[in-house]
Amino acid sequence: MTAPALPPFWSLVEAHGDELLAHARRMAGPEQAEDVLQDAFLRALRAYPRLRHAEHLRAWLYRVTTTAAIDAHRARPRELPVAELPVVGVEDDYDSGAFEALIAPLPARARDTLRLRFVEDLDYDRIAGRLGCSPQAARQRVSTAVRTLRERHAA
Amino acid sequence: MTPLPDTLLEAVASAAVREGLADAVFTRLRTPIGRLLVVQGPRGIVRVGFEEEPEDAVLAEVAGRLGPRVVASDRELAFTRDTLSAYLEGDDDRLELPVDLGLVHAPFRREVLETLHREVGRGEVVTYGALAERSGRPRAFRAAATACARNPVPIVVPCHRVLPGSGGIGNYGGGAARKRVLLELEGALRG
Repeated sequence: MTAPALPPFWSLVEAHGDELLAHARRMAGPEQAEDVLQDAFLRALRAYPRLRHAEHLRAWLYRVTTTAAIDAHRARPRELPVAELPVVGVEDDYDSGAFEALIAPLPARARDTLRLRFVEDLDYDRIAGRLGCSPQAARQRVSTAVRTLRERHAA
Repeated sequence: MTPLPDTLLEAVASAAVREGLADAVFTRLRTPIGRLLVVQGPRGIVRVGFEEEPEDAVLAEVAGRLGPRVVASDRELAFTRDTLSAYLEGDDDRLELPVDLGLVHAPFRREVLETLHREVGRGEVVTYGALAERSGRPRAFRAAATACARNPVPIVVPCHRVLPGSGGIGNYGGGAARKRVLLELEGALRG
């Protein structure tokens, strides 16, 4: 038999679920934490049989939860019209603490870029205007920052 | 740290079952003969564990056979729970639940348990020798006894109905006291 002897998935859920919920809360805020963790567990279940070894499963679950939190942020609908937003974006349902904690590991310019994109919900033309670069460069900066963040939280 | 809400766990398990992501589902059930761990795969119940058995080992055994995506859900196993509870509490005398003997590797042992499940009903008892004979190997009563001792699905596959030819109640994986309770419940033992 070549497949690793993976423990029953639910043993991991019962052993690490509480701390993963706390992690999801830090990453996504109290409102979204449970949805994020539910999504993370289902992602983990889909990938579980394909894991090539049975080590560091707790760290792996943290990574999956981190990725789910980032994707939830990116997918989150922003309904306020851009033109009416104040210069510093503030939304009623926006949990700035969670988002700031999420982006904290990044350099200042990357944090600014992500705030423009995900907090103020600007399109790339407007981000480019604010940053004084081309829209292509703005898109590039956002995607680099998100990738860095994913790798950072995956480490 | 806030514990995980049960609603979240149930939602994950239900979604997993719906999406075909669960290799097996388990539930913990309180009954008059103690807490049972019941594990069900796509074809039926694969394992029933008594409360003395280490849960991790039982689940790992199932994961090794059916796959590691083992989830817990009372809701997904509601029918199984209700059927077992009603039977063990004496509210219903039917225990018709699908069984998967995939954890039994030896062909003759599997044959013995299939015969037992199919042919020895509530209120009946059979000796190890007679069970061996009905399974096609009249002299293999020791193998029949081993099959019963290692029955992964006790209660539903009724190894408690198998008694030694020499008399007495004999052994039981869950202990002789439980065997007696089950046989009394079924009216197969007079006080």
